[in-house]
Amino acid sequence: MMKARDVSVYYGPKKAIDEVSIDISPDYVTAFIGPSGCGKSTFLRCFNRMNDTIPSASVTGSIELEGDNILGDSMDVVQLRARVGMVFQKPNPFPKTIYENIAYGPKIHGLAEKKPDLDAIVERSLTRAGLWEEVKDRLDDSGTALSGGQQQRLCIARAIAVDPEVILMDEPASALDPIATAKIEELIDELSGRYAIVIVTHSMQQAARVSQRTAFFHLGKMVEYGPTSDIFQNPIEERTRDYITGRYG
Amino acid sequence: MADHTVKAFDEDITRLRGLIAEMGGLAEVAIAEALDSMVRGDEELGDLVVARDKKIDALETDVDKLAVRIIALRAPMADDLREVIAALKIAGIIERIGDYSKNIAKRVGMIEGRDRFEPLTLLPAMGELASEMVHDVLTAYAARDPDLAREVISTDAKVDAFYNSIFRNLVSHMVENPATISSAAQLLFVARNLERIGDHATNVAEMVHFAATGTYPPEEDR
Repeated sequence: MMKARDVSVYYGPKKAIDEVSIDISPDYVTAFIGPSGCGKSTFLRCFNRMNDTIPSASVTGSIELEGDNILGDSMDVVQLRARVGMVFQKPNPFPKTIYENIAYGPKIHGLAEKKPDLDAIVERSLTRAGLWEEVKDRLDDSGTALSGGQQQRLCIARAIAVDPEVILMDEPASALDPIATAKIEELIDELSGRYAIVIVTHSMQQAARVSQRTAFFHLGKMVEYGPTSDIFQNPIEERTRDYITGRYG
Repeated sequence: MADHTVKAFDEDITRLRGLIAEMGGLAEVAIAEALDSMVRGDEELGDLVVARDKKIDALETDVDKLAVRIIALRAPMADDLREVIAALKIAGIIERIGDYSKNIAKRVGMIEGRDRFEPLTLLPAMGELASEMVHDVLTAYAARDPDLAREVISTDAKVDAFYNSIFRNLVSHMVENPATISSAAQLLFVARNLERIGDHATNVAEMVHFAATGTYPPEEDR
C-alpha cells in the first residue's frame, strides 16, 4: 500500500528523521511509539505531506502510495490528503453541523453531487465510525456540541467520507476518557482491513491493544520494527526493551 | 539492566525476587534436613521439617499476591512481564518441592532396623544432588543466567540414574529380606520424592531460561 524508503526529514540543518524505511498495509494496524521528540509524529506527517506547511522542513527519500511517489512535485497534495486522511490529537470538527462536517469533503472532491448520494455517504461514514445511532436525529446540530469522544469519532467519519486508502492518527485518544478511548480503539479495530491505519501513541498499552505491527523510534531513527506481540514480549533491541519496560532515560 | 524510571517498580520486582530467594533457601534446608532426619532416624528434626513447610506455603501466597499486584498496578512489559510470570510459576514449583521434603520427613518413623539397612546410605548422595539442583537453579534465577539454568537441566539425568539404581537396590533387598519390605517401600517413596524434586528443579530452570531470554531451552537439554 505505502512504501517509505530511506526517508529523512530535516528541520533546517537538524535531522529529525534519519533514513527510515517501512511498509504500511491495510492488513495490519501500525503503531509508532517512542519518547517525545523521537520523530514519530514528524515521520507520520510525511505520509500526507503535512510537513509541507512547515517552511524549514525538507524531506528526502521516497514514499510511494500504490506506486505513486507522493513526494514528487507533480503530486496534488489536496488529492493526496483525500487518499491519506488524518486524525489529530484534539478533535477538530468544523464549526458547522454534523452533516456538513461529513459532507464537506465528498462535495469538494466531487464524490457526490446530488443530495441523496451525499446523504448515503454521511450515513455510511457515521455508521462506520460508530456514531450514526448517537447522532442520526440531530445531524443539524453543530459538530462542536458533541462530547470529546463523539467529536473524535466525527473526525474519523469525516476522514472516512472521502474514501481514503490510509488513515493516519496522531495520538487520537490522548485527550479522551477511558470509555471514549475504548470506543476509538474498537473503531480502529473495525476499520483495519478496509484502510491502512497508522497510529502514533504515547500509550504503550494502547499500541499493544490496537496494533499488529509496532515501530519504535528513538532520536530520529527507527530502532526496531516488528509484530506488536514480539515487540512487547521479547524485543530484540536493548533500547526498545528499556523504553517499553519503563527504564528509558 | 537499567533501573526503572519509577523506583517503586524496581522495589516491587526486588521484593518479588527476594521472596523467591527466601522460599528457595527454605526448600534447600528442608531437603537437607528431611534426609538428615531420615538417615539418622531423628523424628524430632522430621517434625520440624514438617512444621516449617507452612512458612514456604505462606511465602507462596505472598508471591501470588505481589505478582498479581504488580501486574495490576504496573502493567509490566517484555522482560518484566516474563519475570513476574516466571516468579508466579516458580513459587508454585518451590512449594511442591517443600511438600516433597515434608513427605520425606513424615516417613522418618516408619523405617525399622536403621542400623542394618544399608540402602539408606545411598540416599544422602542423591539428596545432595537434588538439593544442589535447587540451589543452582535459584542462583541462575538470581543472576538471570540461562546457561546455568541449562546446566541444572542436564543434571537431572544424574538424579534419575540415582533413582533407578536405588530402585533396583531396594527391590533386590526386598527379595532377599522380605521382613524389610515395609521399610524398603518407604524408602522407595523417599527416592521417588527426590527424583520428583529434580524434575521440579528442571521446571524452574526452564522458567528461568524463559524469563531471561524469552525462549525455552532447546529440546535436547530437557
